[in-house]
Amino acid sequence: MIDWYFSHIVLVQSTLTTLLLALSVQVPLRAGVFSFAGVGCYGIGGYIAAIGMVHYGLSTATAILLSAVVGGVVAYALGLLIQRLTGLYLAMATVAFTLIISVLVVNGGDLTGGAAGLFGALGMLDTGHLLAVAVVVVAALTFTEIGPLGRRVEAVREDPELASAMGINVARYRRATFAVSGVLGGLAGSMTVLLRSTVTPDDINFHLVVLALTIIIVGGSRSWLGALVGTVIFVWMPEVLAFVGEWEDVVYGVLVAAAAVYLPGGVTGAAVAGYRTYRRKRREAADAPPDGPPPQPVAAGVGGDS
Amino acid sequence: MASGTIEDVDGAADTAATESVLRADDVAVHFGGVKAVDGVSIELTPGRIFGVLGPNGSGKSTLLAALTRLVPLTRGSLEFEGRRYDTVRPHTIAARGVARTFQTVRILPGRTVFDNVALGAESAGSAGKAERGRARQRARTAIERTGLAGKERHRPDELSYGYQRRVEIARAIASEPTLLLLDEPTAGMNRQERDDITGLLGDLRGEGLTQLLIEHDVQMMVDACDHLFAMNFGELIADGEPEAVVRHPAVQEAYLGKQGRAHA
Repeated sequence: MIDWYFSHIVLVQSTLTTLLLALSVQVPLRAGVFSFAGVGCYGIGGYIAAIGMVHYGLSTATAILLSAVVGGVVAYALGLLIQRLTGLYLAMATVAFTLIISVLVVNGGDLTGGAAGLFGALGMLDTGHLLAVAVVVVAALTFTEIGPLGRRVEAVREDPELASAMGINVARYRRATFAVSGVLGGLAGSMTVLLRSTVTPDDINFHLVVLALTIIIVGGSRSWLGALVGTVIFVWMPEVLAFVGEWEDVVYGVLVAAAAVYLPGGVTGAAVAGYRTYRRKRREAADAPPDGPPPQPVAAGVGGDS
Repeated sequence: MASGTIEDVDGAADTAATESVLRADDVAVHFGGVKAVDGVSIELTPGRIFGVLGPNGSGKSTLLAALTRLVPLTRGSLEFEGRRYDTVRPHTIAARGVARTFQTVRILPGRTVFDNVALGAESAGSAGKAERGRARQRARTAIERTGLAGKERHRPDELSYGYQRRVEIARAIASEPTLLLLDEPTAGMNRQERDDITGLLGDLRGEGLTQLLIEHDVQMMVDACDHLFAMNFGELIADGEPEAVVRHPAVQEAYLGKQGRAHA
């Protein structure tokens, strides 16, 4: 087990940071906000952590905390700016934000290291730290999926007008998802960079948008569990598919397309739907009259359609 | 009761100096050149069931959207319990005690009956453990009253259309509102279901809940309401006791046409 862990430590750590990145896109999506701002904040977080450590000698914890706060503030400000946009237009605006971040860091001179990026930002991080952050984040997000808050978030996603009639300030919820997404993106970016010790503009490009989206499509968009399942699939898939060699990309593409077509709620969505069908059938079986002689007529006025 | 050129067909019956729950004055909602609602004034007094009657496209639902701030007013003013609210945002209306249902069934598809009703119950407050407990109790009471007991764990796709409409009504009354606005609450229901809902609304009136119903089913409105407003082409055309309003020539004409009125 220990040998296995040390030979796969990069994948284990990458699973935890990629989970945070996927959650940074899933959180707004769960409230009906089609935003990729979390990916842009991943870039901001990565560069702030690297700049903080390389140029200003910040500690690992300070660099991560600063990245999360700046990510949250920037995403919230972006949310204020584009709060009237919805659907694909919102998605395009947030993708543009992500691309702008990568252009800015290319042209950031000595501060960002230009096209070559920054080196030597090795943080004092281990798998335990990553796991602790992931557990805290997942525990916090669980509260947004259950109970009164879960119902309200779902109402905001499914029917904003209904949510509004239920006294829910839809605009505030949307802005809050931007902020949370920015914090998660900042955390993911900073921790990834501090593990690798380097960051370059290529690390924060459009491919991260595609990665986060495919994780959520395949894993499921309605729960943190979907993000975790999708993350495990896509982080570990290259390892599992090593035997197919050069066909890996083809298999990858077919799996994503199949999930999008046949599992509209992702792997976890299909599992939940299957479980509900099973429960419904059990309930119907319990409600059905037992085998035996037909029931005798009852006295008039007794029974009814209840 | 109503202003402008419309005719008050029951005269002094509604002139008692009761403080109004809701007052809409000269409300207009125009969409470009379309005057969906144009100069409508209504006043709702406590503990009564009011109805807005009119053929399809007469502006009933737009009036309801205006009263709940879902569409902006082109002109006019709105007051709830003596406070102006024509500039506030829609979500603040619920907190003041206005609940509504929609013309089409709008319930959360992935949630159980209890969750859907709890959403309404929580709009009256769910902060803190005690408040959450009270919200759950309000939801359970609303479920009982609307005949949904035993179906709490069902999902909307396991319910008939009539039961789905009950979920909407349960969600609205679970917030224990001061004013309940119902947009065609019995649409698509059979006679028995319709009578059940009419009975429930009557019970709620007995408890002092003011209600405003939007419908185009004339008989249901006469059965359920204490006072009717009739609309056509965005304007009020009659206002008063239900029996008198449905006999009013302008209302008969709106429903049957001039020729139909001659034969009626």
